[in-house]
Amino acid sequence: MRLSSLLTSTARWGRAGFALGALALLSGCDYNFWRMDGHQSTIKVAGPVARSQLEVFYVTCWVTLVIFILVGGVLAYATLKFRAKTEAEEKAVPPEQGHGNPFIELGLIGASVLALVIIAIPTLEGIWYTYDVPEDRKADTYEITATGYQWWFKFEYPSEQIAGTGALTTGNELVIPAGRPVRINIRTVDVIHSFWVPKLAGKVDMMPNRANFLWLQADEPGYFWGQCAEYCGDSHAVMRFRVIALSPKDFADWVAQQTSPARNVTPKPGETPKAQFASLRTFKQNETGITDKYDVAPLEAWKAKQFPEKDENAALIAQGKTLFVAKTCASCHEVRGHGAAGISGPNLTHIGSRSMIAAGLIENNAEQLQRWIHDPGSVKPGNKMAKAYIDNNIKLTNEEEVALVAYLQSLK
Amino acid sequence: MEAILKSDLQAKDTHAPAKSALFWRPTAQTGLVSWLTTVDHKKIGFLYGVFALFFFLVGGVEALLIRLQLMYPNGTVLTAQQYNTMFTMHGTTMIFLAIMPLSAAFFNFIMPLQIGARDVAFPRLNAFSLWTFVAGAVIINLGWFMHDGAPDGGWVGYAPLTSKTFAPDHSIDMWVMGLQLLGVASIAASLNFIVTIINLRAPGMTMMRLPVFTWMTLITAFLIVLSFPFITIALVELMMDRLFGTSFFEVSNGGMPILWQHLFWVFGHPEVYILILPAMGIVSEILPTFSRKPLFGYPIVVFSGASIGFLGFSVWSHHMFTTGMGTMATAAFALATMAIAVPTGVKIFNWIGTLWDGRLSMRTPMMFALGFVWMFMIGGFSGVMHSAAPADAQQQDSYFVIAHFHYVLIGGSLFALLAGIHYWFPLMFGRKVSEFWGKLSFWVIFAGFNITFFPMHFLGLNGMPRRTFTYDSNLGWNAANYIATIGALILGVGIFIYFAVMVYTFLKGEKVGKDIWDARTLEWSLPNPPPEYNYRVIPTVHARDAYWYNKQHKAEIAQEEAEHAKAEAAHGGIHMPHQSIYPFVASLGLFIAAIGISVIDHDPSPGFWGKKIGISMIGGVVMLAGIYFWALEGNEGYHLHPDDEGHAPTDKKAAQH
Repeated sequence: MRLSSLLTSTARWGRAGFALGALALLSGCDYNFWRMDGHQSTIKVAGPVARSQLEVFYVTCWVTLVIFILVGGVLAYATLKFRAKTEAEEKAVPPEQGHGNPFIELGLIGASVLALVIIAIPTLEGIWYTYDVPEDRKADTYEITATGYQWWFKFEYPSEQIAGTGALTTGNELVIPAGRPVRINIRTVDVIHSFWVPKLAGKVDMMPNRANFLWLQADEPGYFWGQCAEYCGDSHAVMRFRVIALSPKDFADWVAQQTSPARNVTPKPGETPKAQFASLRTFKQNETGITDKYDVAPLEAWKAKQFPEKDENAALIAQGKTLFVAKTCASCHEVRGHGAAGISGPNLTHIGSRSMIAAGLIENNAEQLQRWIHDPGSVKPGNKMAKAYIDNNIKLTNEEEVALVAYLQSLK
Repeated sequence: MEAILKSDLQAKDTHAPAKSALFWRPTAQTGLVSWLTTVDHKKIGFLYGVFALFFFLVGGVEALLIRLQLMYPNGTVLTAQQYNTMFTMHGTTMIFLAIMPLSAAFFNFIMPLQIGARDVAFPRLNAFSLWTFVAGAVIINLGWFMHDGAPDGGWVGYAPLTSKTFAPDHSIDMWVMGLQLLGVASIAASLNFIVTIINLRAPGMTMMRLPVFTWMTLITAFLIVLSFPFITIALVELMMDRLFGTSFFEVSNGGMPILWQHLFWVFGHPEVYILILPAMGIVSEILPTFSRKPLFGYPIVVFSGASIGFLGFSVWSHHMFTTGMGTMATAAFALATMAIAVPTGVKIFNWIGTLWDGRLSMRTPMMFALGFVWMFMIGGFSGVMHSAAPADAQQQDSYFVIAHFHYVLIGGSLFALLAGIHYWFPLMFGRKVSEFWGKLSFWVIFAGFNITFFPMHFLGLNGMPRRTFTYDSNLGWNAANYIATIGALILGVGIFIYFAVMVYTFLKGEKVGKDIWDARTLEWSLPNPPPEYNYRVIPTVHARDAYWYNKQHKAEIAQEEAEHAKAEAAHGGIHMPHQSIYPFVASLGLFIAAIGISVIDHDPSPGFWGKKIGISMIGGVVMLAGIYFWALEGNEGYHLHPDDEGHAPTDKKAAQH
């Protein structure tokens, strides 16, 4: 029994040491998670829909915080005040055997209902506001259709019709006009996905057999992170996308560029195919495909991608263009004007102008693009391109990969 | 009534010897046979507990692997597919194979004792529930040992990801059939508990004198009986889609994947209360005992439990706020969800009221119970945040939700169940866990739990979606994920200490006498461990905290018991049910049939005796054989005549008539 009292005091010290250890652990890391200002923050928002959702969240936060302090305070007080300090006190005559007080009960029930009403009112307002574009903004609304695939997003612009092919179609990078409400039709072709751009709007699921939609608006031009938010199979975690909001003029320029057919590059006489980059290195499993340079100023990085690279090798590009059809890439991907009209994969007509590839996963540069087409399955487990390689026995040499990369990079 | 009972059973009794040649009456008291054939609610409860704790450890290992994968960005501990399997199995295991059966262990062991009964109403059905649960658990986990792997469709199994198109192997079939068997087990057990509580209460144990834990058992049992049929239907439809090419959820033929979500959550939300109400019941027993005063506002606690049960059926679509239900449906389910916060809040107020003016002994069960109140409060508040649908559009399927329901399920359910194990351990096994080690495990678990899950609120608000096997380092999630993993390891150490101490105590712990906590409810009037017949004399109940009253009125109670003892002896002693192997046989049949349906490949050449159909049919035959023998062996039982000290005659045959 003596030993146990020794152990109890050890426990007390242990507890203190533990608390200190926890503090040390916390102070050892960077504190950025308290600020919650990441690329997918729901706190540092950039549009009216997300802001309205955040305001409702703050109401719930404050109401519950006040209740927590009150109730928690009473609970802590009761625990400390009525604690038996010694074993003798535990065994003393029991306290009065009271059974409760109906007036206290009713009062507390009333107070809880009141607190919930405070939450309910902004909740109801928010439900109607966030559901659809407000009446007075309807005329100004821009419409887009987003479709989920395992594991990428297709974006169609019904108001930008291209003669002979239909609506302008892109993939994984949704370009929208800033300062205008955008109404997005939410569709899927296979399983349930969810469209979520935290800084602009909460998510809406892409349900099979269901015509869902959401609206959002970016206050200012900017570059936003989005991600599928409903578990959709092997590569759910890497089914990402970006939203790029542009000023009206930039947006018009972008539409003009995108609605034109794929860019053609004519080799100069005598030009030979020559790789412009180092050969493929090996990548670790799940290795990040994002550089700090891009991450600091992603919108600028995206804008830089809109112009042809200076050191293009036209002969290599021409070789890649032939390979794109020969290696059956064209049976799944569309490159408008280059005879590639597949529809089961993302539209690559202007792939060179996107900042990211593999559904917002890795940067669109020569190294990462070659990593992707060299072994798509290791970048994105279970994806259809990896399966198509196996099914159709597609094998690419390093030279072929380099040519394909140069070609795809040239499609601005 | 009496005439029926007597004429029928007594008449059969006289022919008993003729039957014994055909029907095997196992009498083993030790060894494997005794466990397989037991109908004693305490042994069955103990087995539920052992299986639940085993699967709790399995689910815990899965959780640690998940956390290790996410410790650093771009983690490589698991592949994408392994990770998806881990979180699917972690959720399924913890909900269906750990928390639910652990609650069932308490229902079985404690509830009949609390109402002064000698067993549950249908002892053999109880054994059937147990073995069917085990069969389901085995089938769900079979994939670990097979080429197809364990299920990876998420614990909610949303269509159409679980369809043959997107999940062609057998893993989902095993998940379907496993859950189906667990449903059979849960419904059978719940019907048993309902009948027991309504019919087998001791004289004077009116409904409004029931201990709160028994009340919550009753409400939970009703929730199970009413909600499991929904998932049964959903699973049957999914099975038919997968095996016979029907189109309930098959989009290409006009099926409706949203139907799965409605069916699943009409089950799934009551399921949340199936997990938490027993915990609330346990805490409502522990707080009064260790405050040494009655529960504050007993009727309100009971009615709030019942109204949580009712409202629990009207809020399922709050799991579907982002599926595009439209404004009106979203508003209705948001308000209904807020309404459920009122009875939940009432319980917390009443627990604090119970502490007020009490004399709190800070023993280990009390520590866990108070930890429960704090953690459940935090989980409840984040639940209220989810009810605000616009805010939920950001939080749904993010780590904020993960934080929320782990505060409810670990901080809530699990803390209360761990408290219950400490609380009733002396009654179950006559030994007591050391206060030092008990409290140490509490503090380590408490700290580890909060370090793991509190940062997840921030992760969710910072946009981290759940069910993702990897994340990039540029999103501000690194520190919180790292801390959460450290916390998970601490939590793991805490759980290890808890169970190591439990095993040690079971084998070598300090022996204690009866009623060591100076408790209030009837089960504590029993010697420990309780004899197989529980009460030598069925108690008569005079007040709500029955045993507390008895302790205040010792002389009258002793006199009353003596009279009742004489009356019972005149009626032929204590009537006990026979052990039986047939519930186990029936469960085994279900197991074989489920294997046939889920694991065996379609025979390419269709024929009546194809492998798949054949094995399923064999299973069906075994099950029917079990059920028929079970019905025909009769339920005559035998009688015990314990002496005044409670020693039963050792030879059962001698007591049989």
